[in-house]
Amino acid sequence: MIVCVAVVGHQNNPLYIQSFTEADDALKLHHIVHCSLDVVDERVNNPKKSGLTLNETFLGLLYPTENYKVYGYLTNTKVKFILVTTDLDVRDADVRNFFRRFHAAYVDAVSNPFHVPGKRITSRTFAERVSNIVKSFGLSSAG
Amino acid sequence: MEEYPEELRTPPVALVSLVGCAEHHSLISSFLNAEQPPINTLALPDFSKITHLLSKPTRSDPDNNGGILKRDWLLKHRTRVPAVVAALFSSDHVAGDPAQWLRVCTDIENLKNVSRPKNIKLIVVVVQSSSNDEISEDRMIALRKRAEIDAKYSVIFNASDDLLLKQSLHRLRSTFAELANVYYKDEGRKIKTRVEKKSFNSHELNVRYCFKVAVYAEFRRDWVEALRFYEDAYQILREMVGTAKKLPLIQRLVQIKTVAEQLHFKISTLLLHGGKVAEAITWFRQHNVSYRRLVGPTDVAFLHWEWMSRQFLVFAELLETSSKTIHSNSNITSGTIDLALTEWEFLPAYYYQLAAHHLKEKRATLELSITMSETADEIDSNAESVAPSIYVGQFARLLEQGDALTMQSLTDEEYTHYAIAEGKRFQDSFEIIAFLKKAYESFSNLKAQRIAHLCGFHLAKEYFGVGDLSNAKQLLDAAASLYRQEGWVTLLWEVLGYLRECSRKSGSMKEFIEYSLELAALPVSSDSWIQSLRYKECSPAGPASLAQREIIQKEVFELVSGETRLQSVEGNSDLKVNGENPLHLEIDLVSPLRLVLLASVAFHEPIIKPGASTSITVSLLSQLPLPVDIDKLEVQFNQSECNFVITNSESTSAAVSSGQHGRQIESAPLALITNKWLRLTYDVKPEHSGKLECIYVIAKMRPHFTICCGAESPASMEDLPLWKFEDRAETFPIKDPALAFSGQKAAQVEEPEPQVDLILGATGPALVGECFAIPVTVVCKDHAIFSGELKINLVDVKGGGLFSPREEEPFSMDSHHVELLGVSGPEGEDESLVGPDKIKKIQQSFGLVSVPVLKHGESWSCKLEIKWHRPKPVMLFVSLGYFPDNNESTSQRIHVHKSLQIEGKTAVVFSHQFMLPFRQDPLLLSRIKSVPGSDQLASLPLNENSVLVISAKNSSEVPLLLQSMSIEVDDGIERPCTLQHSGMDLLSPAHLVPGEEFKKVFTVIPGVEYTSLDLGSVCLRWRRNSEKEDLSTSDAIKDWVLTKHKLPNVKVESFPLVLSLECPPYAVLGDPFMFLIKIQNQTQLLQEVKFSLADAQSFVLSGSHSDTVFVLPKSEHTLSYKLVPLASGSQQLPRVTVTSARYSATFQPSVTASTVFIFPSKPHFTTTDMGDNKLELISTE
Repeated sequence: MIVCVAVVGHQNNPLYIQSFTEADDALKLHHIVHCSLDVVDERVNNPKKSGLTLNETFLGLLYPTENYKVYGYLTNTKVKFILVTTDLDVRDADVRNFFRRFHAAYVDAVSNPFHVPGKRITSRTFAERVSNIVKSFGLSSAG
Repeated sequence: MEEYPEELRTPPVALVSLVGCAEHHSLISSFLNAEQPPINTLALPDFSKITHLLSKPTRSDPDNNGGILKRDWLLKHRTRVPAVVAALFSSDHVAGDPAQWLRVCTDIENLKNVSRPKNIKLIVVVVQSSSNDEISEDRMIALRKRAEIDAKYSVIFNASDDLLLKQSLHRLRSTFAELANVYYKDEGRKIKTRVEKKSFNSHELNVRYCFKVAVYAEFRRDWVEALRFYEDAYQILREMVGTAKKLPLIQRLVQIKTVAEQLHFKISTLLLHGGKVAEAITWFRQHNVSYRRLVGPTDVAFLHWEWMSRQFLVFAELLETSSKTIHSNSNITSGTIDLALTEWEFLPAYYYQLAAHHLKEKRATLELSITMSETADEIDSNAESVAPSIYVGQFARLLEQGDALTMQSLTDEEYTHYAIAEGKRFQDSFEIIAFLKKAYESFSNLKAQRIAHLCGFHLAKEYFGVGDLSNAKQLLDAAASLYRQEGWVTLLWEVLGYLRECSRKSGSMKEFIEYSLELAALPVSSDSWIQSLRYKECSPAGPASLAQREIIQKEVFELVSGETRLQSVEGNSDLKVNGENPLHLEIDLVSPLRLVLLASVAFHEPIIKPGASTSITVSLLSQLPLPVDIDKLEVQFNQSECNFVITNSESTSAAVSSGQHGRQIESAPLALITNKWLRLTYDVKPEHSGKLECIYVIAKMRPHFTICCGAESPASMEDLPLWKFEDRAETFPIKDPALAFSGQKAAQVEEPEPQVDLILGATGPALVGECFAIPVTVVCKDHAIFSGELKINLVDVKGGGLFSPREEEPFSMDSHHVELLGVSGPEGEDESLVGPDKIKKIQQSFGLVSVPVLKHGESWSCKLEIKWHRPKPVMLFVSLGYFPDNNESTSQRIHVHKSLQIEGKTAVVFSHQFMLPFRQDPLLLSRIKSVPGSDQLASLPLNENSVLVISAKNSSEVPLLLQSMSIEVDDGIERPCTLQHSGMDLLSPAHLVPGEEFKKVFTVIPGVEYTSLDLGSVCLRWRRNSEKEDLSTSDAIKDWVLTKHKLPNVKVESFPLVLSLECPPYAVLGDPFMFLIKIQNQTQLLQEVKFSLADAQSFVLSGSHSDTVFVLPKSEHTLSYKLVPLASGSQQLPRVTVTSARYSATFQPSVTASTVFIFPSKPHFTTTDMGDNKLELISTE
């Protein structure tokens, strides 16, 4: 289950962060998302060491925490998407697929002429769409 | 890791035992220990000891209640059960009398009896004290038979000399190693067959056997097998979790985890020592996953968390030590891809951090358990007698029954009490701090700042918990600055909450207010994503919400208005803002409190006339959630006369106190509404010129609370931190958008208009060499001049060398082509009249002169004297600075600037010409054989008169007056030539109009042959000739300018032949005359000379046309011709060409030399004077 998704701007500021848990660990998830930026930085700065290929947006598993797995995705405009999930056995394809759809939703949201680039995303439509994507995560493989 | 017993932490080392001959034991054991691999020795002085040691009955299980590993089994094999026993006998005992031999035999027999059942190997060592102690072969065989050992296991040890000793030791060692290996192999195999045959009925035994096989394999250094069996044991153990039923649930779990911990430790160590870092990490991950959820009953959950924490800690330590020894970075990268390990899993810091995390969990659950168990405190007394039982991970009650102690197993309840009682004894905070500190430092070093600051934050929370506020504050401040920078508001909220509590506890009112205000101004709104944060462990500041912000703001304002007090923990003193403790906050450009109050100040005009008023707009913005009332606003400038105060017109409390005298006081409604600019526009009237800058805007909010806010220009204002990421309506600080983009908090106040004229009068271009005077006149119109200063600067027009005083030293005199010589005061001004404060400073291109006090209408002038060394245009800058009135402190310095470009021109151009006597041509060899390089020099014949004509041309545009021209030797050296002036000196100065030339003739007679003769310089004394000056008396004052011109060097040489033509000065048409060509030989040699004479059409001649003649040494040959002129006028004589055979040089007289004037008839000269003169002139040449 996805517990948290986040969009992080190129100044490493949060643009959108939403957690999907009933438990009161939202703050912990914020910390996890924030710390995962360190790994993103590391991967982006040393692409060879981390085995990233050119133009690859999907950063893969950033780090496993005690109960979560954190995945990352980096767009061309240096906007980062972070996904935190509790599933221990996650298929790479599912995560890639999720990020692709998430990216599309993000592009639509920032294409809104009333959106100022670099500011937080407050669009309700975006939030709804993201929550739909999150709900459908992993269904294709499970079903 | 330190809490593990030594035998578990270090790899097993084979153990052998030495018996008898105690004097050699220390030598042998130290040798065995130092070799690779080492062997430990158990040295026993006599045989009774070993019998005692080995015959100790092994304790059989009293009741096998599910024990897995015996606690002391490993230690036993490390320290008590040797693999090999070596019996040492001295050679004289073996070879001695029968009684001694009998003794040896008994000892061997006894030894055999104890070692055989345990399968311990036996070695017999015969110690020879000297090399000649021979033991008969029979005895040795008998000894071996007695001991029932192979020949190679009876060793002779000879310590008599070094070489033999060394050999014996090596032999002993290899025998020991071989037999120990055999022993451990046998033991291992024995148990292995049991494992393979599954000849046991419980999992516990299975685990135990696997463990033993692995340990025996380790003794043999067979790491692969050891690893395999440890892993087997681990797997079987994992299966036991659900199946083993012999123990009560809690204790069963504890035992399994303890054994699993030991097995895992062994496996990790083996993997890491083998360099398989990635495998070790993967293994740890699985270990973590498989045991993480085995929490057990809630009242002993803390045991689980403690255990988890220990797993992480131990693994972190293992990883740290192994990463020090193995530098296998390449391994890491490949591992990352293959096993999907992430970077951080290779860092010990990651595990330290998690160890701390689990320890915190433990602390929390322990606290819970303690509170739960407090009711049942009375049973605690029983816990005292609980001790670890003989099995790893089991505990039992010790019961004293007489002398003997017996173990009694515990119920789960009893065990729980025991565990809680034990748990109470430890303070976990310090360990948590230690782990987090390691993680924090390690991550900081790796530049992973975010995770480092997260560790720092957790660390700070621990410090906060134990009351170490200064450490906590430092870490929290660092974390807060990161979150501020990256705009993570929720995280910042949490950190600030702790910071606020820190300052509250330490009793720092100012910090408390600052953090509170920042919290209140954070962009936490009623957004959905913030709302979802319902903190369980919410920060001391409460949940991040708009409502909470409002509460905090109210709290702060109650505090600053003195209504409430700050409850401080330290010192138990309440703090209050009042008259004695006023609170003053400063907000600068980088302060996080810019959110609270932002002041933008813009002048409407960038340049202001002095004395005129201009508009200034002060705009204030606050992000506090509730409206803020300001009592009084002070706007401060760098020119304090402009400061003004705005009081709140709507506030009744702000009584207008006419405190400062003469200050401008305005009044306006001063209420700040969230995210709305409060714009106030007023007029200011600057008095002084220069920069007028608004520095501070000070807002007085409550009687004892002020915020001093640094003024910012709207043009260069930074976005509000944190709020810049918010989607909010942004407005300009000033309504006028142009001003909002370009407005500045500083304006330039112009100087008052100067009412003084500065006149630079220059007459035409300056001449090089002369001292050119430029009159400067200062005329007062409406201003008087006090302490005036005249600054003079000479600057190269081309911008090359600026003749500034700073640059004068490094350059030679040459670089100063133009020089300021001095400034002469107005005529009649006496030096004595000049006051002591008069400044006069003259440098080559810079001058500073003070101007006396001048009243209205007065004028003052001076002359600048500038000398040009080279022709060059120069820009002259003159600036006058003065005060218009006598009081320097109040009035302002006014400046007047003037500049003038002045050309420097050359006054006189020199040229010169050398001439030989007329119609006389010496054969100068250098002219014939032109050597490259020597062409430049003019050649003069030795001891002959040569004529030097020097002309000076006036190239300027003004008439000049020449006083004299002479040739002077530069350095006064006697010249080897005579140089004399043919005519007379100038009696009175000669006038030279522009373009006119002045010529003077000199005769040069060189006396010595010279390749490069210095003739000296022409010295010309001149000055400008202007009508005005002639009339005045300035002739005497005005100096003659001396211009020197260096004459080129000449070459003086002797000549072999001279050709001279002789003919009358003139001829008459039809009258014959004699034309003589004389060839003079100056050498000591006979000269063969060829000559030829070309016909000329104006003459008829008689004489030979061509011939070869020989001229005797030092004599002269004359060719004489008679010519009859056929035409009148200036006619060309027949040209003669003379060729010297010796020098193979041909020369010809010049055309002018062979020209003669023919009169048509005999001339009649009437004016004899003129004719004489003319004739004389011609005849002298």
